[in-house]
Amino acid sequence: MDKNLMPIVSIPEIATIVDIRDEIEDVRSFYFTLDRPEIEQAFQIRSGQFIMCTVFRAGEFAVSLPFSPENDRKHISVRKVGKVTAALHQLEPGDKIGIRGPFGNGFPFEEIKGSNIIYVAGGIGLIPLRSSIIHVLQHRQDFGRVILVYGAKSSKELMYKDSIKEWQATENFETHFTIDRPEPGWSGEVGFVNHLAAKLDLPVSDTVAFVCGPPVMFNAVIKELKLKGIKEQDIYSTLERHMKCGIGKCQHCAIGRTLVCVDGPVYTYKQIRTLGEQI
Amino acid sequence: MSYYRGICNFCGTGCGHLLRVEGNRVRGVYPLSGHPLSHGRLCVRGWHIHELLQTEDRITQPLIKDGGHFRQVSYGEALNFVTERIRGIPGHEVAFLGSPRSSNEENYLLGKFARGVIKTNNLSLSSDAGQEESARVLLEGCGWPAMTGTLAELRQADFILVVGGDLTKQNPIIASEIHHAHRAGSFLATISPRKTQMARLSQLHLRPRPGTIFCLLQGLARILTDENKIDADYLSRFTANSQSFLKELKQVEIDQVVEATGIEKEQIVSLAKRLAESDSACAFYPTGVQSLDSRTIAALFNLFLLAGKIGRRGSGLNPVTGISNLLGSYDMGLSPVFLPGYAPSGDEREWEKLENFWQTKLDRWPGKNVDACLSEGESIKALFVVDHDEEIIRHVNRIKQLDLIVYFGAYGNPFASLAHIIFPRTSYAEGDGTYTNSERRVQLVKKKIDPPADVRPLWETLTSMARALGHDWNYRSTEDIMDEISQLVPYYSGLTYEKLTTRLGLKWPCDDLHPEGTDCLLAEEAGHSFQFIQADQPGERLAFDQEIEKDFPFKLVVGRSNYFWHQNSVMKRTFIPKREYNALLLLYPKGFVEISEEDASRLGIREKQPVRVVAESAEVRLAARISRDILPGMLYIPYFIDEMIPEFLHRQVADLEKNEEFFLPVRLEKAV
Amino acid sequence: MYWLKKEQLELLVKKLAEEYKIFGPRHDRVSDEVIFDHLTDLSELDLQAAIPYNPPKFILFPHFEEILKYRYEPETKEVRIEQINLLEPKALIGLRSCDLTGLLCLDRFFLGQEYVDEFYLAHRKKLFIISNTCIRPFPQCFCVCTDSGPAAKDGFDLDLTFTGRDYLVEAGSKKGQVLIDELGLAEAGPEASALKKKIIDNSVSSFDSFALENKAWISRATNRLTTGFIKPEVWEYIGNQCFECGACSFVCPTCSCFNIEDANLESSETDRLRTWDSCSFEGYTKMAGDNNPRKPVEDRRNKRFFCKLSYSQSKKYLRPGCVGCGRCARVCPGDIGLPNVVTYIRREITGESGE
Repeated sequence: MDKNLMPIVSIPEIATIVDIRDEIEDVRSFYFTLDRPEIEQAFQIRSGQFIMCTVFRAGEFAVSLPFSPENDRKHISVRKVGKVTAALHQLEPGDKIGIRGPFGNGFPFEEIKGSNIIYVAGGIGLIPLRSSIIHVLQHRQDFGRVILVYGAKSSKELMYKDSIKEWQATENFETHFTIDRPEPGWSGEVGFVNHLAAKLDLPVSDTVAFVCGPPVMFNAVIKELKLKGIKEQDIYSTLERHMKCGIGKCQHCAIGRTLVCVDGPVYTYKQIRTLGEQI
Repeated sequence: MSYYRGICNFCGTGCGHLLRVEGNRVRGVYPLSGHPLSHGRLCVRGWHIHELLQTEDRITQPLIKDGGHFRQVSYGEALNFVTERIRGIPGHEVAFLGSPRSSNEENYLLGKFARGVIKTNNLSLSSDAGQEESARVLLEGCGWPAMTGTLAELRQADFILVVGGDLTKQNPIIASEIHHAHRAGSFLATISPRKTQMARLSQLHLRPRPGTIFCLLQGLARILTDENKIDADYLSRFTANSQSFLKELKQVEIDQVVEATGIEKEQIVSLAKRLAESDSACAFYPTGVQSLDSRTIAALFNLFLLAGKIGRRGSGLNPVTGISNLLGSYDMGLSPVFLPGYAPSGDEREWEKLENFWQTKLDRWPGKNVDACLSEGESIKALFVVDHDEEIIRHVNRIKQLDLIVYFGAYGNPFASLAHIIFPRTSYAEGDGTYTNSERRVQLVKKKIDPPADVRPLWETLTSMARALGHDWNYRSTEDIMDEISQLVPYYSGLTYEKLTTRLGLKWPCDDLHPEGTDCLLAEEAGHSFQFIQADQPGERLAFDQEIEKDFPFKLVVGRSNYFWHQNSVMKRTFIPKREYNALLLLYPKGFVEISEEDASRLGIREKQPVRVVAESAEVRLAARISRDILPGMLYIPYFIDEMIPEFLHRQVADLEKNEEFFLPVRLEKAV
Repeated sequence: MYWLKKEQLELLVKKLAEEYKIFGPRHDRVSDEVIFDHLTDLSELDLQAAIPYNPPKFILFPHFEEILKYRYEPETKEVRIEQINLLEPKALIGLRSCDLTGLLCLDRFFLGQEYVDEFYLAHRKKLFIISNTCIRPFPQCFCVCTDSGPAAKDGFDLDLTFTGRDYLVEAGSKKGQVLIDELGLAEAGPEASALKKKIIDNSVSSFDSFALENKAWISRATNRLTTGFIKPEVWEYIGNQCFECGACSFVCPTCSCFNIEDANLESSETDRLRTWDSCSFEGYTKMAGDNNPRKPVEDRRNKRFFCKLSYSQSKKYLRPGCVGCGRCARVCPGDIGLPNVVTYIRREITGESGE
């Protein structure tokens, strides 16, 4: 392993929250820098990885990384769901958090060079895909068509609106949005994201899809993509599991023979299907 | 050495364990394979007792409330505070709430302090009435207030009947012992409206409608006579009033039993025959939350007596206590109706005996339990409480009006914060003491770690307090107290620390005749006849009002969870058991009500759909949890902690807790 | 090989005690329990005692331990993280071969995968291991089925075999050889290997029939578990028997699942605690929010037996995850210790009836 890419394994490194941004209801982005300059310097990630984040006096949780390995500010986007994430939401700029990682495999960009890419996201499923989208746009020449299909319950629930605007400004990036129910001022599609995907003219050959979202949406989208002819081994997703260590020891994230923290979190649908557990 | 022998202090099974101690901290726990009851098993609670014992969340000094805040004080100042405040309050205006987790020595001394020093007879555990009712029924029926059988011989029993409750959750290792016996060939039957794990493991599961177990048991007895399956020889040798009982039984009509319980006659007949034809038969029922009411216990007793299964080897009626020293607390007389050793409080001679023994004047007026003392219209002014939790908080408004609340506890909790004065006390790993499990097994637990600097055992604090109030008690150790107990309580007369140190418990009666304890009640040795117990209202049918049924067609019952029960303040200080509880709470963050698959589909209710449970006086909104475990027509709300007990149930909880047969008529509506 | 006279054993232990904290089996007379324990009184070491009820796992992977301590000052926003020194030289004396095998599995799992577990490593670093051949099997043992006994093959510093009067000693490491030399043990003659072999053969032949018969079935069960060809009804039956106590995981020499919690202390410090956990618990896979991918209890049981027997898991240990100690069967409030699960799978294959 490249020494610069060595993750922080056991003892959390202290980081300072430098900025906080509200994304959607109950979801906030926390921008951070690592306190030790040499660590800040050496901290390198791959798209699709995650970190273990300590909220002091509350605990530690696993969170996928939304930022790109290059030219992007380090941050995490976190929904308030439990005791630890609620404590994180209490923090202010200047407060400290602890960081271990980055852990996990990341997206296989080398293997998919030259392919078309379809991103299908539902709600906060866009968080782990954001890093990948930025990476792909930064290396636009390496890929064919790049398409984002994104749906949420309502327009308020759409994540990263600023980033999306930036991406739309780049060339050759197609975007399609949908929300579950009509609302005033919304001129885009209405309905579930799988229905939208069904309607679209999507590439099939030399195409990979990255799908992320809640279990119901995930399964519906997979069905649609397979109907269109996209192969199971060309559909990627990142799995989320309860994790305690991040380094393949605590076994909380074990699914059958795989450990999400070291073998994942990025899997092809073909792999996921054979794991024998719910998504 | 880092592993020390001890006894688990959670439920009334009293499993043997090894606590791993390093650097004066409990670092782990391991089951004890040589233990005669648990044989090397522990349940999820027992496997995590060290998490509780290492908590830093302790009361470490006497505290006096001053202007709404607690201030640390010396023992001297704290004792002065209590003696000054209590002097002006007459005994009958004081009540004592003991803890079923305290040792026999502590509970004995608490009773002696209440009756002998404060001169009050208002002393009890909390509302856990099931144990008292069970003791009363068994005393009347066979003169023995606890398990008449033994778990040691369970694996040889032919027939095992589990009535009510959820034993696998309440006392998992006793349930395991039953399960082992079943696998070794015993016939296992369960009577329970819910499809509990025990029911799933049983060969026969009878599911009477809520509130009809009593009726079913009477039906079983009737079948025994109809089929001529009674043991006439046994009845004439060992029972006193079988003729009048048999006469009374004639009023029970099987058709009505079938109609009321919803159970087919063939099943009732088959169970009755199995019971009659077995050589040895045991029945188990829980006495905590979900205990049976006294008439149901009486019906169960009568059934077993009729079948000739009381006072026989390998047979018996086995009440199972939910908390570690619940039985011991009653043995020590922590009850308004029993003096130490179950001496009836209505018997003048017993009072005289006690006065002589304690060398102090005692008041005879009939005491009440704390629940009654705190209900409206009562005039108590002071309350002494040992390690209790929010359970009693339903009386919070009444409690807040008291002039004096003295709290003895190891851990802080909402109840403690209401106190005027708090005394710290040692945890059970920090001192010596004996605990009596469901099986009557008295087990000695030795001190394993030192308490925090200023923390004294309860018996020491009580001794100082008695001295400050002019009673010169002279105990130097808990062993001194046990010596005294053995002189007063006949069942304990042969018990000494010396004996208990070299044995894994002894089952009372332990006396001159039985120096190594007693396995089970034997009719030949009892020295008296057994009595059938007369039902309060002979031949009573179903106490279920047709009118109410029209508007409130569902029967709501409450139950307990594996991980959380009663003293939730205990479980809150663990990690894994707390997480397991939270796992359910996260799925149903606002609590849930269980409904049968049949009712759910009939009413078009989906999993997790918000519903309203409406009772006559109030209603509550909960998420529906569709379950295969409950009967159509029944709803079930788990008895957890505050967050899970809806406000409207709080008002009913006293009744719901009393027994398994109690239910609340409600209706269910979809919430919009 | 060398001879260790009975009276030299005391010397050996004393010698080790100069450098190491001594752990070994002791017998509690009142409860008739054999406990693998920290021995403060060295005379309590009992190498003739039965297999201890507890495996030595707790020494390297404690039930409950602080792995970090930190102090967070909300006012100044200052954090101080303190590493806890877990390094302590320990000698484990009289390890049964199943337990030594278990320890080697833990080694491979904690030290040999993608990442090294630093906390385990700290406990493991300065260890002296003396194994003890089982000259007769105990009632619950089936190590002959799982290739982990009755004698140790590797992983020890010294290996002892009781011959009825004295011990035959074999060195498994340089450390072990040095100690043999220091004690000046007499070299055993060429007949020693044959003697040891005879003792082991004798032990193997006295195993209970259930162990001997199960040998082939364990590998067939392994096959079925790996391929997933086990009927849901078998898992449902097993699920009904499960009391969800976690004991099978806690007593297993190779089970290593753990939980991590931050516990705040009175002193405004926080301990990061690592505690044993079990995949049989519902909350184990529970995620914040309300998704639990593994809900029914039979799913969770399924997971553990997969871990103990499947090929894919065996790759991590370089052997099956089960070492045949039989403890899971003894602690189970239900009836689903590993040998029984193999029996249930066997019944499914052969169509035998359950009764």
